[in-house]
Amino acid sequence: MPSLLGNIFKGWTDYSKGVEEGGHHEYEHMYAMVIDLDLCTGCNACSTACYAENNLAVVGEDKFGARQAMHWMRIERYFDEPDLDKTEATTDADTQSRGASFLPMMCQHCNAAPCEPVCPVGATYHTVDGLNAQVYNRCIGSRYCANNCPFRVRYFNFYDNAESWPAPMDQQLNPDLSVRSKGVMEKCSMCLQRTRAARDTAKREGRELKDGDIQTACQQTCPTSAILFGDLLDEDSAISKVWKNHQVKLGTYKQDKENPELRGYRIFEELNVDTKVLYLERVREV
Amino acid sequence: MPTKIDRRSFLKVLGLGGAGAALAGCDRPSYATLEEGEEQVFSYLAPEEYVVPGIGVWYASTCLQCPAGCGVHGRVREGRALKLEGNPDTALNKGKLCQMGQAALQTHYNPDRITKPRIGDQEVTWPEALAHIQSKSGGATAWLTGAISGHQAVLLDTHLHARDGGGKHYAVETVNAQAWQAACADTIGDARPELHIDKANSVLSFGADFLGTWISPVKFMADYGAFRSAPRGVLTVIEPAMTLSGANADHWVAARPGSEAAVALGVAYTLASEYGVSTSALPSGAADAIANMTPDRVMELSGVEAQTLSKIAATLMSNSPSLVIGDGRYETAAAAMALNMMLGNIGATITPGVDLVPADLAMRNGSTKALADFAADALAGRIDSVFITGANPAFTASGGLKIKDALANIPLKIGVSMFEDETTQLCDVVLPLASPLEDWGTHVPSSGAGRGEIHVQQPLMEKLHPETLGLGDILLGLAQDAGADGLADFEDYYGYLRTAVSALIGTDQETAWQAVLQAGKVQAPSGERAFTANGALNIQIADTQAPSAGQLTLITTARQGLYDGRHANLPWLQEAPDQISKAVWDSWAEIHPKTAAGLGLKDGDYITITSSAGAITTRVFLYKGVHPDAIAVPMGRGHTHYGRYATGIGVNPLSVLDGTQDVRTGEFLATASVRVQATGDNRHLVRLMDVDQQYGRKLAVTISADQHRRNQTNNQGSA
Repeated sequence: MPSLLGNIFKGWTDYSKGVEEGGHHEYEHMYAMVIDLDLCTGCNACSTACYAENNLAVVGEDKFGARQAMHWMRIERYFDEPDLDKTEATTDADTQSRGASFLPMMCQHCNAAPCEPVCPVGATYHTVDGLNAQVYNRCIGSRYCANNCPFRVRYFNFYDNAESWPAPMDQQLNPDLSVRSKGVMEKCSMCLQRTRAARDTAKREGRELKDGDIQTACQQTCPTSAILFGDLLDEDSAISKVWKNHQVKLGTYKQDKENPELRGYRIFEELNVDTKVLYLERVREV
Repeated sequence: MPTKIDRRSFLKVLGLGGAGAALAGCDRPSYATLEEGEEQVFSYLAPEEYVVPGIGVWYASTCLQCPAGCGVHGRVREGRALKLEGNPDTALNKGKLCQMGQAALQTHYNPDRITKPRIGDQEVTWPEALAHIQSKSGGATAWLTGAISGHQAVLLDTHLHARDGGGKHYAVETVNAQAWQAACADTIGDARPELHIDKANSVLSFGADFLGTWISPVKFMADYGAFRSAPRGVLTVIEPAMTLSGANADHWVAARPGSEAAVALGVAYTLASEYGVSTSALPSGAADAIANMTPDRVMELSGVEAQTLSKIAATLMSNSPSLVIGDGRYETAAAAMALNMMLGNIGATITPGVDLVPADLAMRNGSTKALADFAADALAGRIDSVFITGANPAFTASGGLKIKDALANIPLKIGVSMFEDETTQLCDVVLPLASPLEDWGTHVPSSGAGRGEIHVQQPLMEKLHPETLGLGDILLGLAQDAGADGLADFEDYYGYLRTAVSALIGTDQETAWQAVLQAGKVQAPSGERAFTANGALNIQIADTQAPSAGQLTLITTARQGLYDGRHANLPWLQEAPDQISKAVWDSWAEIHPKTAAGLGLKDGDYITITSSAGAITTRVFLYKGVHPDAIAVPMGRGHTHYGRYATGIGVNPLSVLDGTQDVRTGEFLATASVRVQATGDNRHLVRLMDVDQQYGRKLAVTISADQHRRNQTNNQGSA
């Protein structure tokens, strides 16, 4: 574990390199995700699975209304009517005729993460797995990271959430990760504990980690298989193929696709934060 | 909670003197007792030999959060169930699970569980409770349950048959597919055919929320994943208020409540008139109903325009094979089946189901008609005692049904339940039920996709509350007490189940039993059903007109999540934003902005919704996914007795239904004519997001299907 200052400087160096030399990374793995919005039904299975897997606190109506909920993964719902065909005569502005647009939103694990350089104590940094990690024991609760997050996916423990788990509910808590206390920032970790467990298992069985060994909780439960997780540094992984098929490149703020009609896109790419979650556009019949 | 750590307990934590914990009051230091052999050095936790501390073990079981009966794998570590996942070995849910299944852990660990039997307000022991029941339960008895299948259902029948006074079983489910099943039985002679959404290139749904709550939503969602991959299927949904399925439709059409059947017949009319699709092979009655349903008539009844009908017809014709589903009212489902027959879907996307050879294991389908029958029998004094489990009639009964009077007319009411709810409040005796994660059972999935696969439920952990008892054990004990034949040898339900499953698989070897437990399922012999043609179909079209001034039509809708209210005590689901409104921890009424403007309502205004059966007061949520003549209130909240997480939160729209029943199926209709009045109060409805537009930002982007088809080689194809 590098020293505190060393950690902060390293964070800065990585960040500025990430901005200057697109896609810069010194990772062993680069875990990333694909979410197919055409398959997502907005059913909430993923977010509830996340509550179960990651010991997320339930806060109740008032705190939820004060934007103090702890859902690492949230399903945003939009009622925009996409303008697919301007000549469409039957589009009745009075009905929601193309349903709703659902958008699962969690930490995008940016390669040039804006949350990292602003942390005064280096509590958030990039692991060698290419994941943006939050060190709870180091966090002092300045909330600069949440302020700097364009996706609003960092959640702060304004309260001690012990009352979220009245006995015997506390017995359900996943022992593979901590329960965060008051004054600490938390966020989606892409189920880091599952990554560790899969690695240990592979080691015990004396083999290399292979694609598909690690499933995040949201991916595993998703009834329509809209979520895919894997290692982008592994050329043969399913996820690498999807990124390649959709001609989406890392380390850029503007995709230059051979075929601009392909569905893959990254949210807020223009901010040059280099997110590692690829969304595939929702499709609707005209 | 700081604890004093002294040297002795410190050593214990370090793994010294675990066994020495039993030597209470022994103050000699551990090293001395260790040397003398009174203590041993091993882990503080002395686990079973197959338990490795820190390593999770997975056990297969069955999810009981809704009647679908998905297979699950439960992760157990140090004797605690920590997480549920779908069982990848089942044909039904293929490793997937919905939010209700994920939240089954909270049902199990819920702090409000009943831990001891009670008679009236007095906590008693099991023998006392059973003796009380035995002494009072002469005469005719009844079981009121939810949908139930497998060996629990067999024992339930055994118990009822063994009693001198006889007995009756009422299976009650508020969220069901009774209308659809009746229509299927009337048209193809098979009430439960297999639906193949994955094989369809277009799906047309009339209010059947197959992605949310209909029959087997996880299976249908998995099929939907295949349906949307190349070639991409087209989904059209016609309903009065948007369901989760409607929210995912390519084309969503608002129809006036109750007019879905008219629209379905209108689509059939358009198919016949524009594409020359023959109606001659339809059962008699259907062709006439279609011929009478001109587009003008459809417009009059439902407000759906002729060009919309043409568009739907074109979609169905150019994306074959299709699948048409419908539910709610019988005529809606019957018209949907008529469309399937016209389009040649029978045998393609609708195939015969299977019958289990041990027929007594089959699912006892739940209905609301059963509750009406139960209330009628109770009011007529035909029931002397009733056991209620897996159902909460005092909460889910239509307001027009005087369920409390009916219950009051039964001398002995026994609630067999995990939680105190509105029904156990009215019971004389309450027996504490073990949770599904502590119990044994077999369950027949509500969709026959597994072709005779029966899912096995096994405990994932020791009982949290030692005085609770599983449903199978309670049934077995009651049947034994009633003197049923052939049960005397069984000590507990486990023994009974083990014997019964051995008979099913034809071997009682331990290895075979272990294999069943490991797979979480058992393959029962099953026979293929065959479709039979039916002579006549009676489609009565309701005369749905725009409601008179000051009136709206209330629709009670079901959502995957709180479901029919049974999951309102699970904080994860209370805090999971509703799929449509994104609201949490409270009820709301969905109303069209135009209608709201007419009533002078804005977002967050409280309104009182009054019907002939009662009134509820809740806030409005304005959006365009509801027909202007309708007001939709999702059910699930509004509990008066259901633990700390549900009590006093929201309103129960079922309480204002007037008890009108469907003519053919006897199901309570989920609609009522209501008056809506603003109370003058307004409070912001707490929800995940207060914006519903993206304001031009590239968040959730939509492209046209044509563009997608040009590039369809690039499907995600995730495993």
